Amino acid sequence: MSPLTSHEVRAGWMAQALKWGRPDAAPLAFIAIDLRDRPDHPDHHFDLTVAPGTTVVAIGDEDSGVGDLGGFALGLRQPLSGRAEVFGARIGQLPYYDLLLFRRRIGYHPVGDGLLQNLSLRDNVALPLRFASDHRQAEVDDRVNQLLEDFRLRAVATLRPAAANEEDRRRAAMARALALDPDLVVLEAPFDGLTGRAAQDLLDKVSRRDDGSRRAVFATAQDLVPSVRRMVDRVVKVADGSAVEEKP
Amino acid sequence: MTAVVAAIGRSGARRLSVLGGLARFALGAFRAAARLTRAGRWVTLRVLINQIRFTALQAIGLVTFLASILSFLVISQTVRQLGRLGATDLIGTVIVVAVIRELGPLLTALIVVSRSGTAIAAEMATNRVMGEVTALEAMGIDPYIYLVLPRMLGAIVSVAALMIVFDGVALASGYFGAALSGMHFQRYTNIVLTTLSAKDVWLTVAKGVVFGSAVALFPSYHGLAVKAGPTEIPQAVTRGVVATIVAIFISSALFVVVAAG
Repeated sequence: MSPLTSHEVRAGWMAQALKWGRPDAAPLAFIAIDLRDRPDHPDHHFDLTVAPGTTVVAIGDEDSGVGDLGGFALGLRQPLSGRAEVFGARIGQLPYYDLLLFRRRIGYHPVGDGLLQNLSLRDNVALPLRFASDHRQAEVDDRVNQLLEDFRLRAVATLRPAAANEEDRRRAAMARALALDPDLVVLEAPFDGLTGRAAQDLLDKVSRRDDGSRRAVFATAQDLVPSVRRMVDRVVKVADGSAVEEKP
Repeated sequence: MTAVVAAIGRSGARRLSVLGGLARFALGAFRAAARLTRAGRWVTLRVLINQIRFTALQAIGLVTFLASILSFLVISQTVRQLGRLGATDLIGTVIVVAVIRELGPLLTALIVVSRSGTAIAAEMATNRVMGEVTALEAMGIDPYIYLVLPRMLGAIVSVAALMIVFDGVALASGYFGAALSGMHFQRYTNIVLTTLSAKDVWLTVAKGVVFGSAVALFPSYHGLAVKAGPTEIPQAVTRGVVATIVAIFISSALFVVVAAG
Protein backbone atom coordinates (compact mmCIF):
# COMPACT_ATOMS: atom_id res chain seq x y z
CA MET A 1 0.00 0.00 0.00
CA SER A 2 1.34 3.42 -0.90
CA PRO A 3 2.04 5.98 1.83
CA LEU A 4 -0.91 8.18 2.75
CA THR A 5 -1.09 11.67 1.35
CA SER A 6 -1.35 14.51 3.83
CA HIS A 7 -4.96 14.99 2.77
CA GLU A 8 -5.78 11.37 3.53
CA VAL A 9 -4.03 11.53 6.87
CA ARG A 10 -6.13 14.45 7.99
CA ALA A 11 -9.39 14.00 6.13
CA GLY A 12 -11.45 12.25 8.77
CA TRP A 13 -11.43 14.77 11.57
CA MET A 14 -10.34 17.89 9.70
CA ALA A 15 -13.84 18.96 8.78
CA GLN A 16 -14.71 19.21 12.46
CA ALA A 17 -11.41 20.81 13.49
CA LEU A 18 -11.76 23.49 10.80
CA LYS A 19 -14.96 24.87 12.21
CA TRP A 20 -12.92 26.98 14.62
CA GLY A 21 -10.72 29.84 13.50
CA ARG A 22 -10.54 31.68 10.17
CA PRO A 23 -8.94 30.44 6.96
CA ASP A 24 -7.12 33.76 6.39
CA ALA A 25 -5.71 34.02 9.93
CA ALA A 26 -2.05 33.55 10.86
CA PRO A 27 -1.24 30.06 12.15
CA LEU A 28 -0.18 31.47 15.52
CA ALA A 29 -0.36 34.87 17.17
CA PHE A 30 0.51 35.95 20.70
CA ILE A 31 -1.34 39.15 21.47
CA ALA A 32 -0.44 41.41 24.41
CA ILE A 33 0.65 38.54 26.60
CA ASP A 34 2.11 39.33 30.00
CA LEU A 35 5.10 37.04 30.42
CA ARG A 36 6.29 38.51 33.69
CA ASP A 37 3.17 37.79 35.76
CA ARG A 38 3.01 41.52 36.50
CA PRO A 39 -0.13 42.90 34.85
CA ASP A 40 0.71 46.41 36.13
CA HIS A 41 3.30 46.85 33.37
CA PRO A 42 1.30 47.29 30.17
CA ASP A 43 4.37 48.52 28.26
CA HIS A 44 6.00 45.13 28.39
CA HIS A 45 3.51 42.98 26.57
CA PHE A 46 4.62 40.19 24.30
CA ASP A 47 3.29 40.29 20.72
CA LEU A 48 4.36 37.89 18.02
CA THR A 49 2.79 36.52 14.85
CA VAL A 50 3.96 33.38 13.06
CA ALA A 51 3.12 33.72 9.36
CA PRO A 52 2.18 30.68 7.22
CA GLY A 53 5.19 28.68 6.02
CA THR A 54 7.68 30.43 8.29
CA THR A 55 9.90 29.20 11.09
CA VAL A 56 10.01 31.51 14.09
CA VAL A 57 12.09 30.93 17.20
CA ALA A 58 11.66 32.76 20.51
CA ILE A 59 14.75 32.70 22.68
CA GLY A 60 15.27 33.91 26.21
CA ASP A 61 16.63 33.13 29.64
CA GLU A 62 14.95 30.59 31.86
CA ASP A 63 13.18 33.29 33.86
CA SER A 64 12.16 35.37 30.84
CA GLY A 65 8.82 33.54 30.46
CA VAL A 66 9.80 32.10 27.06
CA GLY A 67 9.11 28.61 28.43
CA ASP A 68 5.42 29.46 28.89
CA LEU A 69 4.78 30.33 25.25
CA GLY A 70 4.38 26.72 24.06
CA GLY A 71 1.76 26.03 26.73
CA PHE A 72 -0.12 29.20 25.78
CA ALA A 73 -0.04 28.22 22.09
CA LEU A 74 -1.58 24.81 22.85
CA GLY A 75 -4.11 26.16 25.36
CA LEU A 76 -2.48 24.09 28.09
CA ARG A 77 -1.97 27.22 30.19
CA GLN A 78 -3.63 30.61 30.30
CA PRO A 79 -1.67 33.85 30.38
CA LEU A 80 -2.56 36.33 33.13
CA SER A 81 -3.40 38.86 30.45
CA GLY A 82 -3.42 38.82 26.66
CA ARG A 83 -4.24 35.83 24.47
CA ALA A 84 -2.89 33.24 22.06
CA GLU A 85 -4.71 32.75 18.77
CA VAL A 86 -4.21 29.69 16.61
CA PHE A 87 -5.61 30.00 13.08
CA GLY A 88 -7.62 32.93 14.40
CA ALA A 89 -9.26 30.95 17.24
CA ARG A 90 -8.72 31.96 20.86
CA ILE A 91 -7.44 28.57 21.84
CA GLY A 92 -7.71 29.22 25.57
CA GLN A 93 -11.46 29.83 25.25
CA LEU A 94 -12.42 26.55 23.53
CA PRO A 95 -14.41 23.99 25.54
CA TYR A 96 -12.35 20.94 26.55
CA TYR A 97 -13.48 18.43 23.93
CA ASP A 98 -13.48 21.02 21.15
CA LEU A 99 -9.98 21.97 22.26
CA LEU A 100 -8.82 18.34 22.02
CA LEU A 101 -10.15 18.14 18.47
CA PHE A 102 -8.68 21.51 17.50
CA ARG A 103 -5.24 20.55 18.83
CA ARG A 104 -5.01 17.86 16.17
CA ARG A 105 -4.17 20.68 13.74
CA ILE A 106 -1.09 21.43 15.84
CA GLY A 107 2.01 19.27 16.23
CA TYR A 108 3.59 19.61 19.65
CA HIS A 109 6.99 18.74 21.03
CA PRO A 110 7.01 19.43 24.79
CA VAL A 111 10.11 20.16 26.87
CA GLY A 112 12.13 16.95 27.22
CA ASP A 113 10.24 14.78 24.78
CA GLY A 114 6.92 13.87 26.41
CA LEU A 115 7.15 10.29 25.14
CA LEU A 116 5.06 7.70 26.99
CA GLN A 117 7.51 5.53 28.88
CA ASN A 118 5.55 2.28 28.68
CA LEU A 119 5.32 2.40 24.87
CA SER A 120 8.00 1.67 22.28
CA LEU A 121 9.19 4.54 20.09
CA ARG A 122 7.07 3.08 17.28
CA ASP A 123 3.92 2.99 19.40
CA ASN A 124 4.61 6.53 20.57
CA VAL A 125 4.75 7.71 16.97
CA ALA A 126 1.54 5.80 16.21
CA LEU A 127 -0.35 7.20 19.20
CA PRO A 128 -1.98 10.27 17.56
CA LEU A 129 -2.91 8.24 14.49
CA ARG A 130 -4.54 5.54 16.59
CA PHE A 131 -6.43 7.72 19.03
CA ALA A 132 -6.80 11.06 17.27
CA SER A 133 -7.65 10.06 13.69
CA ASP A 134 -10.21 7.89 11.91
CA HIS A 135 -7.78 5.60 10.11
CA ARG A 136 -7.76 1.87 9.76
CA GLN A 137 -4.96 -0.11 11.35
CA ALA A 138 -3.30 -0.75 7.96
CA GLU A 139 -3.32 2.96 7.13
CA VAL A 140 -1.85 3.78 10.53
CA ASP A 141 0.92 1.22 10.00
CA ASP A 142 1.77 2.73 6.59
CA ARG A 143 2.02 6.23 7.97
CA VAL A 144 4.10 5.11 10.95
CA ASN A 145 6.51 3.19 8.71
CA GLN A 146 6.87 6.28 6.55
CA LEU A 147 7.66 8.47 9.57
CA LEU A 148 10.11 5.96 11.05
CA GLU A 149 11.90 5.90 7.70
CA ASP A 150 11.96 9.70 7.38
CA PHE A 151 13.31 10.16 10.90
CA ARG A 152 15.76 7.24 10.64
CA LEU A 153 14.17 5.39 13.55
CA ARG A 154 13.65 1.95 12.02
CA ALA A 155 16.54 0.30 13.86
CA VAL A 156 15.42 1.55 17.27
CA ALA A 157 11.65 1.53 16.74
CA THR A 158 11.00 -1.29 19.19
CA LEU A 159 12.96 0.31 22.05
CA ARG A 160 11.24 1.98 24.98
CA PRO A 161 12.22 5.66 25.43
CA ALA A 162 14.40 4.85 28.46
CA ALA A 163 16.49 2.45 26.35
CA ALA A 164 16.99 4.88 23.44
CA ASN A 165 19.54 7.68 23.28
CA GLU A 166 18.54 11.33 23.56
CA GLU A 167 18.72 12.05 19.84
CA ASP A 168 16.52 9.08 18.95
CA ARG A 169 14.00 10.07 21.62
CA ARG A 170 13.94 13.58 20.17
CA ARG A 171 13.49 12.17 16.66
CA ALA A 172 10.61 10.01 17.86
CA ALA A 173 8.95 12.96 19.61
CA MET A 174 9.26 15.05 16.42
CA ALA A 175 7.91 12.20 14.27
CA ARG A 176 4.95 11.92 16.65
CA ALA A 177 4.35 15.68 16.39
CA LEU A 178 4.16 15.31 12.59
CA ALA A 179 2.02 12.16 12.55
CA LEU A 180 -1.14 14.01 11.51
CA ASP A 181 0.79 16.32 9.13
CA PRO A 182 -0.29 19.41 11.09
CA ASP A 183 -0.47 22.95 9.70
CA LEU A 184 1.47 24.31 12.66
CA VAL A 185 4.18 22.77 14.84
CA VAL A 186 5.08 24.09 18.28
CA LEU A 187 8.44 22.95 19.63
CA GLU A 188 9.62 23.56 23.19
CA ALA A 189 13.40 23.50 23.64
CA PRO A 190 13.69 21.03 20.75
CA PHE A 191 17.45 21.29 20.24
CA ASP A 192 18.67 20.94 23.84
CA GLY A 193 21.43 18.34 24.03
CA LEU A 194 21.59 17.82 20.26
CA THR A 195 24.56 18.48 18.00
CA GLY A 196 24.17 21.36 15.54
CA ARG A 197 23.99 18.88 12.69
CA ALA A 198 21.22 16.80 14.30
CA ALA A 199 19.29 19.97 15.14
CA GLN A 200 19.57 21.17 11.54
CA ASP A 201 18.39 17.82 10.22
CA LEU A 202 15.36 17.76 12.54
CA LEU A 203 14.37 21.37 11.87
CA ASP A 204 14.57 20.71 8.14
CA LYS A 205 12.23 17.71 8.45
CA VAL A 206 9.80 19.49 10.73
CA SER A 207 9.48 22.58 8.55
CA ARG A 208 8.61 20.62 5.38
CA ARG A 209 5.15 19.19 4.87
CA ASP A 210 4.45 15.87 3.17
CA ASP A 211 3.57 17.64 -0.11
CA GLY A 212 6.89 19.57 -0.07
CA SER A 213 5.45 22.94 0.97
CA ARG A 214 6.64 24.66 4.14
CA ARG A 215 4.67 24.57 7.35
CA ALA A 216 4.55 27.12 10.12
CA VAL A 217 6.94 26.28 12.95
CA PHE A 218 7.20 28.04 16.28
CA ALA A 219 10.01 27.00 18.61
CA THR A 220 11.25 28.20 21.98
CA ALA A 221 14.84 27.87 23.19
CA GLN A 222 17.32 29.44 25.54
CA ASP A 223 19.71 30.01 22.66
CA LEU A 224 20.36 28.86 19.09
CA VAL A 225 23.56 27.58 17.53
CA PRO A 226 24.54 29.62 14.43
CA SER A 227 23.91 26.75 12.00
CA VAL A 228 20.30 26.44 13.15
CA ARG A 229 19.88 30.21 13.36
CA ARG A 230 20.63 30.43 9.64
CA MET A 231 17.71 28.09 8.88
CA VAL A 232 14.99 30.08 10.59
CA ASP A 233 13.05 33.03 9.21
CA ARG A 234 12.76 35.03 12.43
CA VAL A 235 14.42 35.01 15.80
CA VAL A 236 12.92 37.07 18.63
CA LYS A 237 14.51 37.48 22.00
CA VAL A 238 12.19 37.74 24.98
CA ALA A 239 13.58 40.50 27.14
CA ASP A 240 11.76 42.26 29.95
CA GLY A 241 8.48 40.70 28.83
CA SER A 242 8.67 42.02 25.25
CA ALA A 243 9.81 40.57 21.92
CA VAL A 244 13.00 42.04 20.51
CA GLU A 245 13.73 41.13 16.92
CA GLU A 246 17.17 39.60 16.27
CA LYS A 247 18.97 38.78 13.06
CA PRO A 248 18.48 35.15 12.04
CA MET B 1 -18.69 25.43 69.14
CA THR B 2 -18.81 27.48 65.93
CA ALA B 3 -15.33 26.29 65.06
CA VAL B 4 -16.38 22.65 65.47
CA VAL B 5 -19.44 23.13 63.24
CA ALA B 6 -17.28 24.97 60.69
CA ALA B 7 -14.72 22.15 60.71
CA ILE B 8 -17.46 19.55 60.18
CA GLY B 9 -18.94 21.68 57.41
CA ARG B 10 -15.58 22.08 55.70
CA SER B 11 -14.93 18.35 55.87
CA GLY B 12 -18.41 17.60 54.53
CA ALA B 13 -18.03 20.11 51.72
CA ARG B 14 -14.65 18.61 50.79
CA ARG B 15 -16.14 15.13 50.65
CA LEU B 16 -19.09 16.33 48.59
CA SER B 17 -16.72 18.02 46.16
CA VAL B 18 -14.73 14.77 45.81
CA LEU B 19 -18.00 12.92 45.18
CA GLY B 20 -18.97 15.46 42.54
CA GLY B 21 -15.55 15.14 40.91
CA LEU B 22 -15.85 11.38 40.95
CA ALA B 23 -19.28 11.48 39.36
CA ARG B 24 -17.98 13.74 36.57
CA PHE B 25 -14.96 11.47 36.17
CA ALA B 26 -17.13 8.34 35.92
CA LEU B 27 -19.42 10.01 33.38
CA GLY B 28 -16.40 11.09 31.33
CA ALA B 29 -15.05 7.54 31.34
CA PHE B 30 -18.36 6.07 30.13
CA ARG B 31 -18.81 8.77 27.49
CA ALA B 32 -15.27 8.13 26.24
CA ALA B 33 -16.39 4.78 24.84
CA ALA B 34 -18.54 6.57 22.26
CA ARG B 35 -15.60 8.64 21.00
CA LEU B 36 -13.24 5.76 20.27
CA THR B 37 -11.74 5.87 16.79
CA ARG B 38 -11.44 2.83 14.51
CA ALA B 39 -7.75 2.21 15.17
CA GLY B 40 -8.27 3.26 18.79
CA ARG B 41 -10.82 0.47 19.24
CA TRP B 42 -8.24 -2.07 18.11
CA VAL B 43 -5.57 -0.72 20.45
CA THR B 44 -8.03 -0.44 23.35
CA LEU B 45 -8.94 -4.08 22.80
CA ARG B 46 -5.25 -5.01 22.99
CA VAL B 47 -4.79 -2.97 26.18
CA LEU B 48 -8.00 -4.50 27.56
CA ILE B 49 -6.72 -8.04 26.95
CA ASN B 50 -3.48 -7.09 28.70
CA GLN B 51 -5.44 -5.67 31.62
CA ILE B 52 -7.48 -8.87 31.93
CA ARG B 53 -4.24 -10.87 31.86
CA PHE B 54 -2.76 -8.79 34.71
CA THR B 55 -5.95 -8.35 36.69
CA ALA B 56 -7.73 -11.67 36.29
CA LEU B 57 -5.40 -14.41 35.04
CA GLN B 58 -2.54 -13.55 37.37
CA ALA B 59 -4.92 -13.37 40.35
CA ILE B 60 -6.61 -16.74 39.77
CA GLY B 61 -4.15 -18.58 42.03
CA LEU B 62 -4.70 -16.22 44.95
CA VAL B 63 -8.47 -16.19 44.50
CA THR B 64 -8.57 -19.99 44.33
CA PHE B 65 -6.45 -20.32 47.45
CA LEU B 66 -8.45 -17.83 49.52
CA ALA B 67 -11.83 -19.12 48.28
CA SER B 68 -10.97 -22.71 49.19
CA ILE B 69 -9.65 -21.83 52.66
CA LEU B 70 -12.56 -19.51 53.47
CA SER B 71 -15.25 -21.88 52.24
CA PHE B 72 -13.63 -24.89 53.93
CA LEU B 73 -13.48 -23.05 57.28
CA VAL B 74 -17.00 -21.62 57.11
CA ILE B 75 -18.68 -24.83 55.93
CA SER B 76 -16.81 -27.30 58.15
CA GLN B 77 -17.58 -25.20 61.26
CA THR B 78 -21.18 -24.55 60.23
CA VAL B 79 -21.93 -28.21 59.43
CA ARG B 80 -20.53 -29.23 62.80
CA GLN B 81 -22.65 -26.68 64.71
CA LEU B 82 -25.80 -27.24 62.66
CA GLY B 83 -25.35 -31.03 63.02
CA ARG B 84 -25.69 -30.70 66.78
CA LEU B 85 -29.03 -28.98 66.26
CA GLY B 86 -30.11 -31.41 63.56
CA ALA B 87 -30.39 -28.58 61.03
CA THR B 88 -27.75 -29.49 58.44
CA ASP B 89 -30.19 -28.60 55.66
CA LEU B 90 -29.49 -24.97 56.47
CA ILE B 91 -25.96 -25.47 55.14
CA GLY B 92 -27.21 -24.52 51.68
CA THR B 93 -28.46 -21.18 52.95
CA VAL B 94 -25.16 -20.52 54.68
CA ILE B 95 -23.03 -21.32 51.66
CA VAL B 96 -25.22 -19.41 49.20
CA VAL B 97 -26.01 -16.38 51.33
CA ALA B 98 -22.77 -16.00 53.26
CA VAL B 99 -20.16 -17.29 50.84
CA ILE B 100 -21.55 -17.01 47.30
CA ARG B 101 -23.72 -13.90 47.67
CA GLU B 102 -21.75 -11.79 50.15
CA LEU B 103 -18.23 -12.90 51.04
CA GLY B 104 -17.28 -14.13 47.55
CA PRO B 105 -17.85 -10.86 45.67
CA LEU B 106 -16.50 -8.82 48.58
CA LEU B 107 -13.27 -10.79 48.96
CA THR B 108 -12.76 -11.02 45.20
CA ALA B 109 -13.09 -7.26 44.86
CA LEU B 110 -10.71 -6.71 47.78
CA ILE B 111 -8.13 -9.03 46.19
CA VAL B 112 -8.36 -7.12 42.91
CA VAL B 113 -8.11 -3.77 44.72
CA SER B 114 -5.01 -4.87 46.58
CA ARG B 115 -3.32 -6.09 43.40
CA SER B 116 -4.62 -3.96 40.56
CA GLY B 117 -6.15 -0.92 42.30
CA THR B 118 -2.76 0.00 43.73
CA ALA B 119 -1.11 -0.57 40.33
CA ILE B 120 -3.71 1.58 38.53
CA ALA B 121 -3.39 4.45 41.02
CA ALA B 122 0.42 4.37 40.93
CA GLU B 123 0.49 4.18 37.12
CA MET B 124 -1.94 7.06 36.67
CA ALA B 125 -0.12 9.22 39.20
CA THR B 126 3.19 8.49 37.47
CA ASN B 127 1.65 9.34 34.09
CA ARG B 128 0.51 12.67 35.52
CA VAL B 129 3.85 13.47 37.20
CA MET B 130 5.87 12.55 34.09
CA GLY B 131 3.77 14.95 31.99
CA GLU B 132 2.35 12.10 29.89
CA VAL B 133 -1.26 13.13 30.52
CA THR B 134 -0.48 16.65 29.33
CA ALA B 135 1.30 15.19 26.30
CA LEU B 136 -1.82 13.15 25.47
CA GLU B 137 -4.07 16.18 25.78
CA ALA B 138 -1.67 18.24 23.67
CA MET B 139 -1.94 15.60 20.92
CA GLY B 140 -5.72 15.88 21.03
CA ILE B 141 -6.09 12.50 22.74
CA ASP B 142 -8.70 12.18 25.46
CA PRO B 143 -6.93 10.71 28.54
CA TYR B 144 -10.19 8.98 29.47
CA ILE B 145 -10.03 6.99 26.25
CA TYR B 146 -6.38 6.09 26.45
CA LEU B 147 -5.90 5.62 30.20
CA VAL B 148 -9.21 5.09 32.01
CA LEU B 149 -11.53 3.25 29.62
CA PRO B 150 -9.41 0.09 29.03
CA ARG B 151 -8.67 -0.21 32.74
CA MET B 152 -12.31 0.18 33.68
CA LEU B 153 -13.51 -2.41 31.14
CA GLY B 154 -10.65 -4.70 32.17
CA ALA B 155 -11.53 -4.41 35.85
CA ILE B 156 -15.25 -5.08 35.23
CA VAL B 157 -14.55 -8.21 33.17
CA SER B 158 -11.85 -9.39 35.58
CA VAL B 159 -13.82 -8.89 38.80
CA ALA B 160 -16.89 -10.61 37.31
CA ALA B 161 -14.79 -13.53 36.03
CA LEU B 162 -12.91 -13.89 39.32
CA MET B 163 -16.20 -13.89 41.24
CA ILE B 164 -17.33 -16.87 39.20
CA VAL B 165 -14.01 -18.60 39.89
CA PHE B 166 -14.35 -17.77 43.59
CA ASP B 167 -17.90 -19.18 43.72
CA GLY B 168 -16.93 -22.38 41.90
CA VAL B 169 -13.94 -23.02 44.14
CA ALA B 170 -15.94 -22.11 47.28
CA LEU B 171 -18.66 -24.61 46.38
CA ALA B 172 -16.09 -27.36 45.72
CA SER B 173 -14.06 -26.81 48.87
CA GLY B 174 -17.26 -26.32 50.87
CA TYR B 175 -18.07 -29.91 49.99
CA PHE B 176 -14.79 -31.08 51.51
CA GLY B 177 -15.64 -29.18 54.69
CA ALA B 178 -19.10 -30.76 54.76
CA ALA B 179 -17.71 -34.21 53.94
CA LEU B 180 -15.48 -34.07 57.01
CA SER B 181 -18.69 -34.01 59.06
CA GLY B 182 -20.06 -36.96 57.13
CA MET B 183 -22.22 -35.27 54.52
CA HIS B 184 -22.53 -37.13 51.21
CA PHE B 185 -21.83 -35.46 47.88
CA GLN B 186 -25.35 -36.08 46.56
CA ARG B 187 -26.97 -34.46 49.61
CA TYR B 188 -24.58 -31.51 49.54
CA THR B 189 -25.31 -30.90 45.86
CA ASN B 190 -29.06 -31.13 46.38
CA ILE B 191 -29.02 -28.69 49.30
CA VAL B 192 -26.88 -26.13 47.44
CA LEU B 193 -28.81 -26.37 44.17
CA THR B 194 -32.12 -25.99 45.96
CA THR B 195 -30.95 -22.83 47.67
CA LEU B 196 -29.30 -21.20 44.61
CA SER B 197 -31.63 -18.99 42.59
CA ALA B 198 -31.58 -16.82 39.47
CA LYS B 199 -31.28 -13.82 41.78
CA ASP B 200 -27.82 -15.03 42.80
CA VAL B 201 -26.73 -15.03 39.17
CA TRP B 202 -27.84 -11.46 38.42
CA LEU B 203 -26.52 -10.27 41.76
CA THR B 204 -23.10 -11.70 40.87
CA VAL B 205 -23.17 -10.00 37.47
CA ALA B 206 -24.34 -6.68 38.94
CA LYS B 207 -21.72 -6.80 41.67
CA GLY B 208 -19.07 -7.61 39.08
CA VAL B 209 -19.96 -4.45 37.13
CA VAL B 210 -20.27 -2.18 40.19
CA PHE B 211 -17.22 -3.47 42.07
CA GLY B 212 -15.16 -3.64 38.86
CA SER B 213 -16.02 -0.03 38.01
CA ALA B 214 -15.06 1.04 41.54
CA VAL B 215 -11.75 -0.85 41.34
CA ALA B 216 -10.76 1.15 38.25
CA LEU B 217 -12.49 4.50 38.79
CA PHE B 218 -11.40 5.43 42.31
CA PRO B 219 -7.68 4.67 41.85
CA SER B 220 -7.72 6.35 38.41
CA TYR B 221 -9.41 9.45 39.81
CA HIS B 222 -7.02 9.82 42.74
CA GLY B 223 -3.99 8.92 40.59
CA LEU B 224 -4.81 11.54 37.96
CA ALA B 225 -5.52 14.14 40.65
CA VAL B 226 -1.82 14.28 41.60
CA LYS B 227 -0.38 17.72 40.97
CA ALA B 228 2.72 18.49 42.99
CA GLY B 229 5.19 15.73 42.15
CA PRO B 230 6.48 12.21 42.82
CA THR B 231 6.10 12.54 46.60
CA GLU B 232 2.31 12.66 46.12
CA ILE B 233 2.21 9.26 44.40
CA PRO B 234 2.08 7.08 47.57
CA GLN B 235 -0.61 9.34 49.04
CA ALA B 236 -2.66 9.04 45.84
CA VAL B 237 -2.34 5.25 45.95
CA THR B 238 -3.50 5.17 49.58
CA ARG B 239 -6.41 7.52 48.91
CA GLY B 240 -7.46 5.54 45.84
CA VAL B 241 -7.36 2.15 47.56
CA VAL B 242 -9.07 3.30 50.76
CA ALA B 243 -11.84 5.04 48.79
CA THR B 244 -12.35 1.90 46.68
CA ILE B 245 -12.63 -0.34 49.75
CA VAL B 246 -15.15 2.02 51.38
CA ALA B 247 -17.14 2.23 48.13
CA ILE B 248 -17.19 -1.57 47.77
CA PHE B 249 -18.48 -2.08 51.32
CA ILE B 250 -21.13 0.63 50.94
CA SER B 251 -22.33 -0.72 47.60
CA SER B 252 -22.34 -4.24 49.05
CA ALA B 253 -24.69 -3.02 51.79
CA LEU B 254 -26.85 -1.29 49.16
CA PHE B 255 -27.07 -4.56 47.23
CA VAL B 256 -28.46 -6.23 50.34
CA VAL B 257 -31.12 -3.50 50.63
CA VAL B 258 -31.99 -3.72 46.92
CA ALA B 259 -32.06 -7.53 46.91
CA ALA B 260 -34.26 -7.58 50.00
CA GLY B 261 -36.69 -5.19 48.34
